[in-house]
Amino acid sequence: MTEFDVCIIGSGAGGGPVAYTLARAGRSVVVLEKGPWFAEADFYKDELACCRRNVYTPDLKYERHVIEDLDDDGAWVATPTSESGWNFWNGNCVGGSSNFMSGFFHRLKPVDFRLLSEFGPVAGANVADWPIGYAELEPYYDRVERLVGVSGRIQAHANIEPRSSPDFPFPPTAEHPVADWIDAACAGLGYHALRVPRAILSQPALGRRACEYSGYCGSYGCASGAKGSARAALLDQAVAGGHCQVRAHAKVRRLVSDAAGRVVAADYADRAGKRVRVRAKVFVVACQAIETARLLLVSTGPRYPHGLANNHGQVGRNLLFSAGGAGGGDLVYGDLDAARAADLRVMGPFVNRALDDWYVIDDPALAGGRAKGGIVEFLLGHPNPIARAAPARWGEDGLLWGKPLKRRLEHGFRDQRRLAFEVFNDWLPVDDCCVGLDPAERDRWGDPVARVRIGGHARNLAVGRYLADKAEQVLRRMGARNVAGHVSPAPPPNLVAGGCRFGRDPASSVLDPDCRAHEVDNLYVSDGSFMPTGGSVPYTWTIYANAFRVAERILARL
Amino acid sequence: MREDGRRLAEADGARSRLAAWRVQLLDRRRFLLRLAGGSLAALFPLAGTAAPTLDAAARWRIVDAVQRHLFPSEPDAPGAAEIKALAYLRFMLGHDPDKADDGRFILQGAGWLDDMAQRLEQAPFGRLDEAGRERVLRAVEKSEAGANWLALLLLYVIEALLADPVYGGNPDGVGWRWLAHVPGYPHPPPGKRYMELRRR
Repeated sequence: MTEFDVCIIGSGAGGGPVAYTLARAGRSVVVLEKGPWFAEADFYKDELACCRRNVYTPDLKYERHVIEDLDDDGAWVATPTSESGWNFWNGNCVGGSSNFMSGFFHRLKPVDFRLLSEFGPVAGANVADWPIGYAELEPYYDRVERLVGVSGRIQAHANIEPRSSPDFPFPPTAEHPVADWIDAACAGLGYHALRVPRAILSQPALGRRACEYSGYCGSYGCASGAKGSARAALLDQAVAGGHCQVRAHAKVRRLVSDAAGRVVAADYADRAGKRVRVRAKVFVVACQAIETARLLLVSTGPRYPHGLANNHGQVGRNLLFSAGGAGGGDLVYGDLDAARAADLRVMGPFVNRALDDWYVIDDPALAGGRAKGGIVEFLLGHPNPIARAAPARWGEDGLLWGKPLKRRLEHGFRDQRRLAFEVFNDWLPVDDCCVGLDPAERDRWGDPVARVRIGGHARNLAVGRYLADKAEQVLRRMGARNVAGHVSPAPPPNLVAGGCRFGRDPASSVLDPDCRAHEVDNLYVSDGSFMPTGGSVPYTWTIYANAFRVAERILARL
Repeated sequence: MREDGRRLAEADGARSRLAAWRVQLLDRRRFLLRLAGGSLAALFPLAGTAAPTLDAAARWRIVDAVQRHLFPSEPDAPGAAEIKALAYLRFMLGHDPDKADDGRFILQGAGWLDDMAQRLEQAPFGRLDEAGRERVLRAVEKSEAGANWLALLLLYVIEALLADPVYGGNPDGVGWRWLAHVPGYPHPPPGKRYMELRRR
């Protein structure tokens, strides 16, 4: 039995800043991580390891979720992911899913903090303002730029968020020639292509190496240390300072609370399955939204019969994903002159372009009037060759094999390059998107698994479609062929937040504005769970920034 | 389903993993269909009910012949032989415990394929000419489970073609070169293959 100032459960973007900040201030910190501890020397550009086999996520036979989805008759049907194969884990290892992000970074915009005030209620959705504004988070966005390492260059732009520092601390990452083509197409359409910063070091700094531009970034662990994962950027430094220990293969099963309602210990199973108890003054939960809610719900105690911090029944409610979709078009080498074709073949640099012209949409074409919109991000099709080739075996009338398959592969790989886009817009918070405990399914330690209902609001699709149409216009203007966009109601499991809202009213939120549980004096949640609404960009930068903010609040009380 | 898999082709972005998962889901559904229809009679409806008595070596020779038919060698394009498709498949089935089901399914199917070749073409699969092999495999494809068997073999061929050479296929990157594909660096060495990293 050991005692620490702070015990952090989860080592990703939510846990890393807290460990870094408190350990640097001399407080004793322990980080409990369920998964293994990989380092740069374990990350290779191996498609099987990254993307086709379970290496960084658990075997679904032993650790699963139960997903509740609507069937064609409008009934909720629960399916264990061990049966569907639809994996809801994201990077169960030290540093969490931040190891595998693409690192294109966006701040939220001021409007994201007050959707209810700006746009009014939406029928069927639980839209709420945040209890803090952009100005309160801005200094921490700035801190992330310097400590995690964000590379970019500020350019004049209509929708740019206010900033306290004039520019990014590191110059932009190298950019692919196709970025200029996107700029030209957008300008021709009257759109304003935005140069997107990356949480990837463009030059050696912060004790880490610069990007090596392998061209394989998203979904892959970073072998150079340039990618700003919580592991490379924060935990490695925290551990080196001597006040932080990270325990891998430590699966926290319960937070133990006493009769006074304080959390007194975290019980975890070590690799051998042996129970270990850790005591600390303050506990911080950052297991990513679904598992954070699950851990609180399973941690009943004398004062918490329905789960820790859940006496108002709010834990697990208003889970958020990112709405939107994906699409793209083929740029055909034969359509281009030799110089442009050679430019298009370049491997390695990033595209770094997005459109935020419709972050707020004021267009009669979108029913309902002025509304929250989102962004379009442009990227080159992922180079993963097995993923690209495998669908070629499905022909129009059955399987394709032999020489016809080989000719199809040659065409797909040699004659063109895919320019893709992704649409991000708000996933409106609704009652039917939530986390509970499954009554039957258990994980390998015998604990109830999370049951996740994944209902979405119809508006998510309408806004996503509006944005996808704009992206398709850009690709067509670039001369791309086979341009198509697909807006889906299915949640992307890697873009998840909410479930433990922060707010001022304990009856409608789990956390107070400092992300401390209303009901539990020494319990904080520092991952993306706190968000009442999620904004229209990937969550990582905001999770990092808020976790630095929470860390300061914790430091102030210790 | 298949269209979805293509439309959601991966992008190097935050949503790329969604795409991968959906594709995986589709493959997984095929796998379940395979198990559900998994009676061997359903697999190859024209085959007899008596299990053939081929030994493992003979079954592997049939798998080899099927792979060479599915992915033939050409002067300017590598086939199953050049990409070492059989060595790759045997490495995977032998070193990844998760693939044990695949191994049983593939070898069982090889026995029944041979039986079907006898019935349709009056010769073992290995003795058929190219046209005969094509007729038998197209007959196999007509059942859902038979199509799944072939799709699984094709998937392993494609992996052998394009996975890192450390797994036994794609020697010296012959598959990457053929398709003008630029692989990423660093490459995994022995000791850092995915099944070894899993033991961390």
